[in-house]
Amino acid sequence: MDEEKVPLFKSWKTWYRLVIGFLVICIAIFYLLTKHFS
Amino acid sequence: MSRPDWIVLALTLLGIIAYGLYKGRTTRDLDGYFLSNRAVPWYMVLLGIMGTQASAVTFLSAPGQAYTDGMRFVQYYFGLPLAMVVLCISFVPVFHRLKVYTAYEYLEQRFDLKTRTLTSFLFLLQRGLSTGISISAPSIILSSLLGWDIVWTNIFMGGLLIIYTVSGGAKAVAYTQQLQMVIIFSGMTIAAYLVVHRLPAGVGLTEILHMGGKAGKLNIITTGFSRKGGGFDWNDRYNLLSGIIGGFFLALSYFGTDQSQVGRYLTARSVSESRLGLLLNGLVKVPMQFLILLLGVMVFAFYQYNHEPVFFNKSQIDLLAHSKYKDSLSFVTTRYDAAENQRLSTLRGPGTTDGPADLVDPSLLESRKEALEKEKAGYKATIRRWLDDPAVGGDSNDTNYIFLRFVTDYLPKGLVGLLIAVIFLAAWGSIAATLNSLASCTIIDFHRRFSSKQLTTNREYRLSQMYTFFWGIFCVAVAQLAYNLGNSLIEAVNVLGSLFYGVILGIFLVAFYRPKVTGWPVFISAVIVEIGVIVLNILSRKGIVSLSFLWFNLVGAAGVMLLSEVLQAVMKKKPVDEKPG
Repeated sequence: MDEEKVPLFKSWKTWYRLVIGFLVICIAIFYLLTKHFS
Repeated sequence: MSRPDWIVLALTLLGIIAYGLYKGRTTRDLDGYFLSNRAVPWYMVLLGIMGTQASAVTFLSAPGQAYTDGMRFVQYYFGLPLAMVVLCISFVPVFHRLKVYTAYEYLEQRFDLKTRTLTSFLFLLQRGLSTGISISAPSIILSSLLGWDIVWTNIFMGGLLIIYTVSGGAKAVAYTQQLQMVIIFSGMTIAAYLVVHRLPAGVGLTEILHMGGKAGKLNIITTGFSRKGGGFDWNDRYNLLSGIIGGFFLALSYFGTDQSQVGRYLTARSVSESRLGLLLNGLVKVPMQFLILLLGVMVFAFYQYNHEPVFFNKSQIDLLAHSKYKDSLSFVTTRYDAAENQRLSTLRGPGTTDGPADLVDPSLLESRKEALEKEKAGYKATIRRWLDDPAVGGDSNDTNYIFLRFVTDYLPKGLVGLLIAVIFLAAWGSIAATLNSLASCTIIDFHRRFSSKQLTTNREYRLSQMYTFFWGIFCVAVAQLAYNLGNSLIEAVNVLGSLFYGVILGIFLVAFYRPKVTGWPVFISAVIVEIGVIVLNILSRKGIVSLSFLWFNLVGAAGVMLLSEVLQAVMKKKPVDEKPG
C-alpha cells in the first residue's frame, strides 16, 4: 500500500520537508511582522 | 434580523440539509455509513478535517481574541503541521492496513480488549460532553445578541443536522462539509472586504497593520519569557514554545486518536489520499488562522473610526439596567459615550467644523486621544466589575460578541443572515462528524464487540442510525444543561479534553513506537498517569502549580510512555511480535 504513487513529488519525504519548511517560513514572516509593526 | 436575513439563513440551512439527504441516500451498510465506502478523494478529506476542527466558536472567538488580546493565538497552531507529518509516517499506514473502523480497534490488536475499551470509553465520555458544549457556546452567543430563545437555538444548532447525519452517515457528512466550508470561507471573505471598504478613504491594509501594531494587536510571535528577566511563564497559554511543543502533542492526540478526526481520513480511498489531505491541512491551517485573526485586527481598526460600544454583549447591559447598578450604569454609559464622541472628533483633526479647533498641535491631539482611551478603558473595567458581582450573575467576557456585534450593526441586509448561517454551518460540520464518530465507536467498540448475537448488515446499519440519533439528542440535552448550569460546566468540559488527550496519545505512541511493551503495563500506566494529570489540574486550579492546560497533553503522553517502560521491565512480560507501521 505504501508503494502508491506520490502526488507531485518523488517521495513523501519531500512533502514532509515542504510542510515543515513552510511552517518555518510562516514563523519567520510572523516574527518580522511582529518586529516591524510593534 | 430583517426579512432578507431570515430568508438567506433559512435557504442556506435547508439547502445543506437537502444536499446531505441527497448525497447520503445510497448508504446502506456500515462501510458506507462510517467510512463512505473508503472512496473519498483527498480534497474532501482536507475539507472534512478542517470542517471537523473548525467549530462555530472558531469563527466567533478568534476575531474577538485578536481584538482584545492580539494575534498571538495563532501560535497555538504551530505544532499542527509537525503533527500532520508524524501522523502520515506512523498512524495513517497502520490504520489503513488493518482496515479498522475506529482507531481504538487497533489497540485490541496491539495490546488487548481492556485497553481498547478503556480508550474508546474515555473518547465517548469526553467527546459526548464537549460536543454538547460546542452546541451550547454559540447558541448562548446568538441567543444573547439576537434575543432568540435558547431552547430553540440549541435545537437549531445541534438538532437539525441530526436529520442528514442519521440518514446518510459519513458520506452525507463529507459532502455537506465540503459545501459548508465553501460558504464559510465566502462569508468570511465578504465580511473582511466590507470591513476594509467601510474604513475612511486612504486607510488600507498597511494602515490597519500600523494601527494594530501600535495598539499591541500584532503580537503574533511571543516568547513567553518575561521582559523583566522573570524566566519562562509556564502558565502563559500562547507563545512560541507552548505553541510548537504543547500544540504538537495536542494536535497529534486530536488528529491521531480522536475518532471524529480519524474517521475523516479513514474515508479516503487510499493511504496517499489520506496523507495528502492531512499534509495540505498542515500547509493551510496556520495561514488560515492568521487571516481569521487578522479579521479581528481589521474590526479593531474599524472601531477606531466608528463608535465602539462600551460592552459588545447587549444582553449584559440589559442585565445591569435591571440590577442595583442601573443608576450608575446610566452615568457611566453617558460619560463613556461623551469620551468616545470626543475621541472620534479628534480623528477629524484640528480646524475642521466638528473637530477640536483648540488643538492645533498634533502632539497635543495624540496625548488627548490617549487620555480618552484610558478614560474609556476605565468605564469598560467598571462594567466588567459590576458583571462579576455575584448579585448580578453576569458574564464579563465580551470577546465572543465583538465580531457578531459588528456583523449585526454594520453589514447590509442579507449578509447578516449569511454570516449567521456561517456560524450554524461551522457548528454543523463539526458536530455532524462527531455524531458519526460517537456512533461508530458505540457500535464497533461496544455493541458489536460485546454482543453474542450475529447481526445482519441491515440490522447493523439500522442500529448505527439509532446510535447517531441517540448521541444527537444526548448532545442537545448537554447543551441545554450547560446553559442552565452556567459557565462552570463549560469550563469543566473545556479542561476535560486536555485531561484525557495526553494519556490516550501516550497509549497510541507506546503502541506504535515501543513494540516490546504489552497490555498490562500500558493499561496500568494509563490509569496511574490519568489520576496524576487530574491531580495536576486540581493543583493548577488552586494555584499551587503554575502550568497551562496545553502542557497536560505532553505530561500525559510522556508519563504513559515512561511508566509503561518501567512497568514492562518490572513485570517482565513476554514481548509481542507486532512491529510499528
